[in-house]
Amino acid sequence: MISKAHTLVISPIGDPGLGGELLENLEQEIRKFFGLETDLRPLIEEQDLWPDPIRRQVHSTPVLETLSILSPPEALKVLAITKLDLFIPILTHVYGEAQLGGKACILSTYRFTDGLFPGKETFRCRIVKEALHELSHTFNLRHCRDPFCVMHYCRSMMEVDRKSNQLCRYCAVLLEDEMKRLAKAGTP
Amino acid sequence: MSGAKILVVDDELIVRKSLGGWLERDGHKVDTASSGEEALEKCGNTRYDILLLDIKMEGLSGLDVLKKVKENDPDVSVVMITAYGSIPSAIEAMKSGAYEYLLKPFDPDELMVLIEKIMHHQAERRETQFLREQYKERTRFESMIGQSRALQSVFDLIERIAPTDSTVLIKGETGTGKGLAARAIHTKSRRSQGPFVVVNCGAFPEHLLESELFGYQKGAFTDAKTTKKGRLELAHGGTLLLDEIGEISMRMQIDLLRVLEDHIFYRVGGTQPIEGDFRIIAATNRDLERAIKEGSFREDLYYRLNVISFSMPPLRDHKEDIPLLAEYFLHRFAQETNKPVDQISRAALDEMMLYDWPGNVREFANAMERAVVVGQGRKILPQDLPIFRPEYVSGPKGRTLREVEIEHLGSILKETGWNVSRSADILGIDRSTLYDKMKRYALRKPV
Repeated sequence: MISKAHTLVISPIGDPGLGGELLENLEQEIRKFFGLETDLRPLIEEQDLWPDPIRRQVHSTPVLETLSILSPPEALKVLAITKLDLFIPILTHVYGEAQLGGKACILSTYRFTDGLFPGKETFRCRIVKEALHELSHTFNLRHCRDPFCVMHYCRSMMEVDRKSNQLCRYCAVLLEDEMKRLAKAGTP
Repeated sequence: MSGAKILVVDDELIVRKSLGGWLERDGHKVDTASSGEEALEKCGNTRYDILLLDIKMEGLSGLDVLKKVKENDPDVSVVMITAYGSIPSAIEAMKSGAYEYLLKPFDPDELMVLIEKIMHHQAERRETQFLREQYKERTRFESMIGQSRALQSVFDLIERIAPTDSTVLIKGETGTGKGLAARAIHTKSRRSQGPFVVVNCGAFPEHLLESELFGYQKGAFTDAKTTKKGRLELAHGGTLLLDEIGEISMRMQIDLLRVLEDHIFYRVGGTQPIEGDFRIIAATNRDLERAIKEGSFREDLYYRLNVISFSMPPLRDHKEDIPLLAEYFLHRFAQETNKPVDQISRAALDEMMLYDWPGNVREFANAMERAVVVGQGRKILPQDLPIFRPEYVSGPKGRTLREVEIEHLGSILKETGWNVSRSADILGIDRSTLYDKMKRYALRKPV
């Protein structure tokens, strides 16, 4: 039986501070990048995220588990976006987290305004690149050392600005492999 | 070689899960342990490059684990994870051989830079070890020796395939002489006047392997002060042996596939295509078909490499060559060490024939070298051989090879205090092979 999971669900948590236009643009970019249907649909509320009382940040790993459970049947992957700062234990912070080869990923816009007041376009580019980055992890792609590849792990916003919103040729092959594997398995 | 093999040891599930996931996304292979005891058990079965070890745990502390791990395998790099209050213990850990300590919570960049640094150091160490081995191989195994049917059929095959320009895949256990077979193919081919270039794919981290193979343009990266030719370019007109092909990363597999398809490549940072004229021979001791099933090796690359393939037989399958090999190595080492040894006793030869030689010809050569060095008279006696056990002088009657091997491995491990590196050296096999055998036979250090 062919699975119904064929859609990439983009799930804003509360108001991620992007505005309707940017969200719409993000959805378009994701659709173009993966060649899959997208759907903008909130799955959890901001009050469902419980910031750690001492760190005042949200531990992202349990959020991913919740997203996986709440994802609708047609969702192949789910990308959540929040304006809250994320962390995983023993690390000071993370920009986002993804289930490698799994269903869910999350992106925080909290640190995307680092630097000297980024312009609207710079901010948009950062969101798009890191959203593609996190979603690609769910397609089993790991970090890439090519500084221009979207899968490059960036240590600063300057590095995010420098990288492109495309995959390098290696990562492109690996994504194609994963898409073929999913197609063989009945999804997408 | 892609990411590192990392063991995260922490008694908090959430730390293991989150940190493990983060490291996996960074391309590393991650395993976790919830206690010091579990970590030691895992280290007994698997070889890790890096241990991320929490200092404070119930039961065995991180410090205890560090000491035991370093005792067994000094090459493993251990990073201690500590809270602010435990800094004195972290300093003590550094004195006991920890590579570094991280104060939690730490910046993800800090962890990433540290792991890169460790991988770089480990790669340098492996490369040095490889060059030493290569030097030894050159002086020891100038030619392949054997009259057995198993080896003769390999020689026949080499004669037949050498004149073709087809890609060859040589399989076989460690120490069986895959490199020698590749060199023989080159020597007998029309490329024999050209270079024979060897790359040990397992010895380099991904980015170093890329610049080793493809070379780089001046300015391609910070250290690229001048343009450097890669080994593909250096092999022009000759043969390129890609040893340990099973160890290369997915990225390198994609690059190699392109090279095999059209023999065109680019230097790192270069835009000009370079066309090379070389024959590729690949060698591996890994089961590549299994690696394909596990998703760590590309099927399309495998078929490109596997145009012609053959396996080098393990020494236990051509024991009839042992007397000939023994004679060859006896004279060779007697000459090298300037010792008047020129005979092998019947009993010593019997010992050699009874033993299984898990490290194959390489182990055999090491045993002969040791026998020549430690021997007192003109004749090699059983007690001069590292494999000799008095109770077997008349042969391990009624015992299977497996039983004999288990016992021998166990006794060498015991002799070295379960130091895997030293044991592997004595046995003439590499550490990963020894780890595999320890796992297979459930050989563990008594707690």
